[in-house]
Amino acid sequence: MIDNPVIFYSASFLILLFVLMTLLAKNIIYSLLSSVVVFFLGALFFYVLGSEYNAIIQAAIYGLAVPVIIGVSIMFRQEEAGGEKKSAKFAIPYLTLMCAGIFVLAFIYLVMMSVAMVPDTFCIKELEQVNSFDNISVFARGIFVNYVWAFELVSVLLTIVIAGLSLFRKKGA
Amino acid sequence: MEITIYHYLSVGLFVFLAGLIGSVLVKNVIKVLISIEFMLLGVNINFVAFASFCDNIAFDGYILALFYTGIGAVELAVAIYIFYLMYQKKQSDNIESYGDL
Repeated sequence: MIDNPVIFYSASFLILLFVLMTLLAKNIIYSLLSSVVVFFLGALFFYVLGSEYNAIIQAAIYGLAVPVIIGVSIMFRQEEAGGEKKSAKFAIPYLTLMCAGIFVLAFIYLVMMSVAMVPDTFCIKELEQVNSFDNISVFARGIFVNYVWAFELVSVLLTIVIAGLSLFRKKGA
Repeated sequence: MEITIYHYLSVGLFVFLAGLIGSVLVKNVIKVLISIEFMLLGVNINFVAFASFCDNIAFDGYILALFYTGIGAVELAVAIYIFYLMYQKKQSDNIESYGDL
């Protein structure tokens, strides 16, 4: 854990500033860009607190993937408002593809966890150290040993969501 | 000056409250979705802060924050998809137009 008041106070000031900018900006694009900064600052907080893995996941999913699908939805919305119905024909498949990207990202990080789970993971004699790459084994033990039922429940939920979205799309078509 | 857990909890509380107020008061649907993500971020900061300061062995807060991150991203993807499908009918991003889900 990094105990530096300069980093903490500057990051706190920036996150408060950009949260307010997100809510108060009239242009939705400025609002989206401000929210990206907020998500990256959240990742910085995770890193400062000693959870590097959470910081990477936060930056990858919320800092990069989620703003992209929000931006794409804004782009299609503005195109349709401009009267161009032609592009709307391709909007839903494209948006479905972007949403599927989120699921792929979630799947990739679950696979990473599986790869990181080595037999030593189940040895609980040693205490793990924060601020080291041993965090991976801590996560693996938490997900695959301590919270395995919650993990399975989340997996079933994600599967239901994917199936529901595809059915929803088929019904809409 | 030492940074304690209360500093991080204060930041998490502010982000959560900003998200809560934004999700209630803001009229734009996309801003409402972003505000909900701010609420999740505030909760995650609290989870990680508690795990770092109070739980030096199991780090349960890290695991919970990881679950929240995954579920929050999927929830946002589904919400964006539903919003877009409804936008094709409503042609408006004002949340008051979406009363009849």
